[in-house]
Amino acid sequence: MSRIAEQILRNGDGRNAKKTGRLFISPLARRVARDRGIDLAALEGSGPHGRIVVADVERAASEPLTAGPEAEISQAPDTVAEPEPVMMGELMHAPAAVPVQGLSDKQILALYEPSSYEVVPHDTMRRFIADRLTLAKQTIPHFYLNIECELDALLAARERLNGMAPQEGPRAFKLSVNDFIVKAMAMALQTVPAANAIWTDGGILRYRPSDIAVAVALEGGGLHTPVIRDAEVKSLSEISNEMRDLAARARSKRLAPHEYQGGTTSISNLGMYGIDSFEAVINPPQSSILAVGRAEKKPIVKDDAIKIATMMGATLSCDHRVIDGALGAQLLAAFKAYLEDPVTMLV
Amino acid sequence: MSDAEFDLVVIGGGPGGYVAAIRATQLGMRTAVVEREHLGGICLNWGCVPTKALLRTSELYRQIAEAEVFGLRVEGLGFDLDRIVERSRAVAEKLANGVAFLMKKNKIAVFDATGRLEGPDRVGLTGTDGAILPPIAAEHIVIATGARARSLPGLEPDGIRIWTYKEAMVPANLPRSLLVIGSGAIGIEFASFYRALGVDVTVVEVLDRILPAEDEEISKLARKAFTRQGMTIHTGATVEQLRNTDTGVGARLRTTGGAALDIEAGRVILAVGITGNVEGLGLEEHGVQVERGHIVVDEWYRTGAPGIYAIGDVVGPPWLAHKAMHEGVLCVEKIAGVEGVHPLDKTGIPGCTYCTPQIASLGLTERAAREAGYELRVGRYPYAANGKAIALGETDGLVKTVFDANTGALLGAHMIGAEVTELIQGFAIGKTLETTEAELIATIFPHPTLSEMMHESVLDAFGRALHI
Repeated sequence: MSRIAEQILRNGDGRNAKKTGRLFISPLARRVARDRGIDLAALEGSGPHGRIVVADVERAASEPLTAGPEAEISQAPDTVAEPEPVMMGELMHAPAAVPVQGLSDKQILALYEPSSYEVVPHDTMRRFIADRLTLAKQTIPHFYLNIECELDALLAARERLNGMAPQEGPRAFKLSVNDFIVKAMAMALQTVPAANAIWTDGGILRYRPSDIAVAVALEGGGLHTPVIRDAEVKSLSEISNEMRDLAARARSKRLAPHEYQGGTTSISNLGMYGIDSFEAVINPPQSSILAVGRAEKKPIVKDDAIKIATMMGATLSCDHRVIDGALGAQLLAAFKAYLEDPVTMLV
Repeated sequence: MSDAEFDLVVIGGGPGGYVAAIRATQLGMRTAVVEREHLGGICLNWGCVPTKALLRTSELYRQIAEAEVFGLRVEGLGFDLDRIVERSRAVAEKLANGVAFLMKKNKIAVFDATGRLEGPDRVGLTGTDGAILPPIAAEHIVIATGARARSLPGLEPDGIRIWTYKEAMVPANLPRSLLVIGSGAIGIEFASFYRALGVDVTVVEVLDRILPAEDEEISKLARKAFTRQGMTIHTGATVEQLRNTDTGVGARLRTTGGAALDIEAGRVILAVGITGNVEGLGLEEHGVQVERGHIVVDEWYRTGAPGIYAIGDVVGPPWLAHKAMHEGVLCVEKIAGVEGVHPLDKTGIPGCTYCTPQIASLGLTERAAREAGYELRVGRYPYAANGKAIALGETDGLVKTVFDANTGALLGAHMIGAEVTELIQGFAIGKTLETTEAELIATIFPHPTLSEMMHESVLDAFGRALHI
């Protein structure tokens, strides 16, 4: 362990600004970078002790746009927060302000016997997940709220509704528990509108519709997060059918960008794997994500008597920049209320 | 046969060579220097340093002649040429001993011999008495053999009436008149020295202005100052013919307009340029390419031949000791794998001419900057407006600065006047640190100093000069 720590420390050595916070850069390099809209933090300095010199800026400026983070996100210090279309699902790089350097590949490989592994090259999705979720954990101050929901009323309603559903034709449907969860979250965001929000440096975006992203695991790894738009005004059967279509197309990777971009919150459900509860990582730029565990029968105390109920654990991860503790609690309480008494979602 | 083995051998113990050797030992290499004549090279023995000693004399002489202006009474002012030359030689010797001490201190082996490539990792040695010495082996060989005065066909120096810098530095008698062919730094410094001692000096320059490497405005001011001192200057003129006469040398000049002009001079100094010492080194046989009298190298001073490098005057202009020293350091650091070594930026090399008034410059001239496509902001500040200059009685001069109007980068600085050779370094530091005008403007310059003119020149470039 100390060896790894040591290596991490060594890896950080000499890297510009990554340790001290002060950016070593020549005045001319700073000015030329500003004029050309080049992100300073993304530059590697080639001057003494890693100082960024004008040649480094010119090299960055002459590189093609795909070459590095500096091309993607430029921090123009003089222009304030015209909200960048930072869309999830797009191949986005973490903003270069991200300070921490991990171990280098060389350092990691040195720790393992070469005969003991094979190397699987990253695909675009793997890189995307790595970039976005690293960004999330490094830039979003997460906190977590747990709650348990009693699902018996929901399960009864679901059984009744599915029983009367047409088997075929355009009006056919088969509701899942997850469809109720999506609807309940959509309603909760309307009840607690302050939580339906996005952080930007320029200000908080108060979002009007309830657009809910749902994580869909893909075969062979990776995941997609298609978005159910305006879920607060859609019926359960509409949500259910739309979700079925989106999930199928997500699995065959045929989603259009507008189908996975946006939203203020996500739902990640691992109940089908027998997980009781877990904490999910917020998908930037959203401000929360609901991690849903399995529903199982448990003894609970109700009216001073022990009874058996179907309970489901849910954990809300919140971006504290947008959602304070009490606000997150209100959202989660509203969610629970809708879920436990699904008739209330009709109004 | 077991050769003495080194990690690095430098052929040539001039400023480039001995500095490269010191840096190499600092980086842990076993190092040797092969020098056929004097440690310290031309610079120290026959160039920069002894001429500065001579020019100190002429500067003092000029000032003492004006003593009355400063309220001093001096009677019977005169000079003793032998003593002047003697002092110059003593200065050179003192410094050459200093270099020998540095070699010893750094445990650098010094071979008093002429070196020659005998292989990619072997240097053959011929002693000063002509004896063949055992060769030495080295993984890296750095050629730093320097350069010498170039001669022109029909204008070969004879060392008696037609001098190079070497004879000009140790005159036995003061000639009545002197013809200086070439108006670069070397020609102008000798012209200035001899003129101060009362010699009738004529300068001939083939280009349309003297000190053609300098900014045009500086050339013009220099010409005005030299003419006022009594020099005769012919620009746009070549020397067609030199012939011995009863009293010295007769020269026929031809102007670009075609007119001929005959002049007589007691002595001639040939200062028409420099050519690299590339002969007798075995360069071609070992794959080292030579073009127009200089060794061809890449940005890290590698010749085409593996393990063989070249630095300093022998690789080309500017022929300056400080450029050679810097190249020696870069070359050795690159060999040693030092990180963060950047290739030499020639616009960061200051150039100094120690005539009266002094001239110093850095980076691009105004014209070169315009031709390179920059939009410019140019600042000027005259000595006549500076308090310290007036107090010193040195009101002749100008500080000119050239900036990129778009980025504020300092592109060049051009100065003429008292002590500018000491002042230019301020701009050199700024330029190396990649300053913009903002940092220079924000810098506090002490009052009253000549350096305030540097500040005012920058302010002037941005329309903010305070004292003019």
